[in-house]
Amino acid sequence: MTQSSLKDIFVLIKQVPDQSAKAGINPDGTIDRAKAKRMLNPFDRYALQAALHTKKHYGGKVTAITMGPPAALEIILEALEHGVDCGYILSDKRLAASDTLATAYALHKVIKYIGHFDLIFCGLQTTDGDTAQVGPQIAERLSLPQTTYCEDFRIEENKVIAKRVVEGGYEWVKMEIPALITVANSYHHLEYKSFRGARMVQHLLRNEEEKNKYIKTITLDTIGAEPAKCGLRGSPTIVARTDKVSEIGGSCKIHQGASQEQLVSEIIQSTNIKEFLKL
Amino acid sequence: MLDKIEYDLILVGGGPSCFALAHHLMDLASKSNIKFSMAIIEKSKEFGSHVVSGAVSNLRVIEKLFPDYKSSEFPIEGICTASWFSVLGNKEKWDVPAFLLPNGLKKEGSAILSLSHVVYWMYNKLKEKASKNPNVVIDFFPGFSVHKILFEGNEVIGVQVTEGSNDNGNEPDSNVYAKVTCFGDKGFISRDIIEKFNLRENPQIWSVGVKEVWQLSPEKDYAGKVWHTMGYPLVDGSFGGGFIYGMKDNKLTIGMVISLDSENPNINPQQRLQDYKKHPWIQDMIKDGKMLKYGAAVLPEGGYFSLPKKFAVPGAMLLGDALGVLDIERLSGIDKGMESGYQAAEVLHEAFVKNDFSEVHFLKYKEKVMNSFIGKELKHGRYFRYAWQENPRLLNKYLPEVMDYVDNSNPYFGLFMIPLVTNPIIAIYDAIRLKYLMDGYDIGKIKYTLDYQHIVPNFKQERKLETNNYIKESVYSRPDAVFFAKTKYHEGNKHIDEFDSDVCVKCIADYDELGKDTPCVSDCTAEVHRIDITSGIRIHGMSLENCVQCRTCEIVCPEVNLRVKPTSCGSGPDYMGL
Repeated sequence: MTQSSLKDIFVLIKQVPDQSAKAGINPDGTIDRAKAKRMLNPFDRYALQAALHTKKHYGGKVTAITMGPPAALEIILEALEHGVDCGYILSDKRLAASDTLATAYALHKVIKYIGHFDLIFCGLQTTDGDTAQVGPQIAERLSLPQTTYCEDFRIEENKVIAKRVVEGGYEWVKMEIPALITVANSYHHLEYKSFRGARMVQHLLRNEEEKNKYIKTITLDTIGAEPAKCGLRGSPTIVARTDKVSEIGGSCKIHQGASQEQLVSEIIQSTNIKEFLKL
Repeated sequence: MLDKIEYDLILVGGGPSCFALAHHLMDLASKSNIKFSMAIIEKSKEFGSHVVSGAVSNLRVIEKLFPDYKSSEFPIEGICTASWFSVLGNKEKWDVPAFLLPNGLKKEGSAILSLSHVVYWMYNKLKEKASKNPNVVIDFFPGFSVHKILFEGNEVIGVQVTEGSNDNGNEPDSNVYAKVTCFGDKGFISRDIIEKFNLRENPQIWSVGVKEVWQLSPEKDYAGKVWHTMGYPLVDGSFGGGFIYGMKDNKLTIGMVISLDSENPNINPQQRLQDYKKHPWIQDMIKDGKMLKYGAAVLPEGGYFSLPKKFAVPGAMLLGDALGVLDIERLSGIDKGMESGYQAAEVLHEAFVKNDFSEVHFLKYKEKVMNSFIGKELKHGRYFRYAWQENPRLLNKYLPEVMDYVDNSNPYFGLFMIPLVTNPIIAIYDAIRLKYLMDGYDIGKIKYTLDYQHIVPNFKQERKLETNNYIKESVYSRPDAVFFAKTKYHEGNKHIDEFDSDVCVKCIADYDELGKDTPCVSDCTAEVHRIDITSGIRIHGMSLENCVQCRTCEIVCPEVNLRVKPTSCGSGPDYMGL
């Protein structure tokens, strides 16, 4: 079945504030990550699925890599439940307030530190920063061929043939391995967690020693990164101001207990649909 | 090559019976220092979120399992300080005097619970216990459901968690093996054991319970008050009634339980609950309140005579609702479900200590259950349900007449008058016979028939239901109710099988001719079943994303053409707080 076989697949994931909860905002306009409820970046779910598909079809071991506060362990555990083999958490106070340049620098150092890889998968972008820059920057720093907005791919004769979404159509890209792919959200949904993965996670949570074998927490010193290039110091981006556009949510009124005609007319009266109808 | 997933014990279903088993087994194991591993598999996303119950319960098993429960944040809604059994007329309410009531209906001293919270609490307590005992491994699997029981010859060797086969047509990588598998489900899965070993001489008979929790206006406080009612709005001869439990923080439980052995093919339990709420007495309670949650579930009502021949087969044990220990005489089952787990734990512990997993050893389980309060109380109430089934006059004739007296004159006068104006000999005979059966005098074995076999398609309801003025916002349509069950499903969900679509087309045509809905459409508690029209033919369709997984459709389907399976991916309603 496997025309090509792979050894190491990396997937870069990030913990972001939960969209369904209200995020805490620091006085300086940055997001207070400690206060906000957290979740796995929804775009990374596609990257995770791509990595697990690759493992299933071409073999190899999937390593999930994340950068963030210690709570990021949660998403590494989630990734393990879905079938990832091991994880790395880069956690260091000196990384606080990193922009994409500093993040990509730190992550490329992590990748170099871990060593051999055939493919790196990234999500398209995150829901907190929305830049879609980290993946491509890492590829540049590692001098890797890259395909962004990848919707589908296969591996033949040690080359990745990737289908890339472009305006008005698709582009087929052929790349040498090793390569980096950012996965579009039109790729397959992440499959439900596996029983075996859920069992593994519970086993690790019971056993600290075993956990440290599968999940490694590393710092800037471990990977030999220059602190000056990380965090606020290494970030040329300045958040000048954060404006609140509008409050999400609000009150919901349920119309009920009357005939359909009456309910529809009540809804029309209570909204400004009339204005649209005039147009 | 992946390793085989193996445990000493699998518990199927994270409900009160399985958690009682796990707790007692842990307590015994911490004394005897035995080592074992256990997996608890539950289809809902969180432990407790598929659990819906009344619930007024005797805490006798909780007291045994957790002597310190009062000081360890046990979630309790209140202790019943006053209870009534009432007959509702269309407008009035009559509280039946205590001396006329069987003791089982007097609930003073019992606890008012939200069972979902109790289950979640038991889960957290178990996690705590497990972290203190290094000899025992407990893995919790909420969000996973068992789809198949694995047999080897006549032995249960484990369960399969993922549905279907993988890409290569191989068995999926989710077979979980165990020395013993315990089933505490409502029969979604354990029915395969019942069928394979032909364990039920009498079929299980079912009722469906629908329940709402309301937040009342701040000046209304019914905490500790418990009502069970008969009469309005069930005027079609169906066995059942309503219940109102006052909870703390000005909350109120309003529910109905309706037996599915009704002749009426169109019970529509959720709408009957809305009718119930239209009673002036209840309208007054819920005025200015708001509905918080809605849920539905089926209840095994057969009791003593529906108990399986064996409570354990090689490699498997049945607990709680899988066994069918609900006590209709006391309108309770939680304590008995927990007790079955408690007794199972003792038998299992002995099996682990002696390393004896023989069929003979597990015979003790039935013996222990039948010698416990479960066996004794179920035996006493063994004809309680049957008494109403064997004599349709009780619900078709006398009850409506009592309702009239409740509304129009004096119910005591009615009790005296009804025999006179009907046939005194028959009426007095009926009363004595009812009392005789409810008191447990022996009339030998009885035979139940399956619920759907009672359905009379051209059933005519003689008595019209008269409803009063009510606040329009206090009643909800069925689709609106689904919103309050907070259902959430994964993409591609298909958890109800329809075996033969032609059978459904024929059934729909038959009921169309009678001007009625099919039982699946009308009795669904969550607007799942519907009629679609394709090229002029009326066919059966399902909106599975609405399903609250009560299983009523399967039970009432006159053609036995539906099968409700457990959902996967943690899908379904969210009953936390019910």
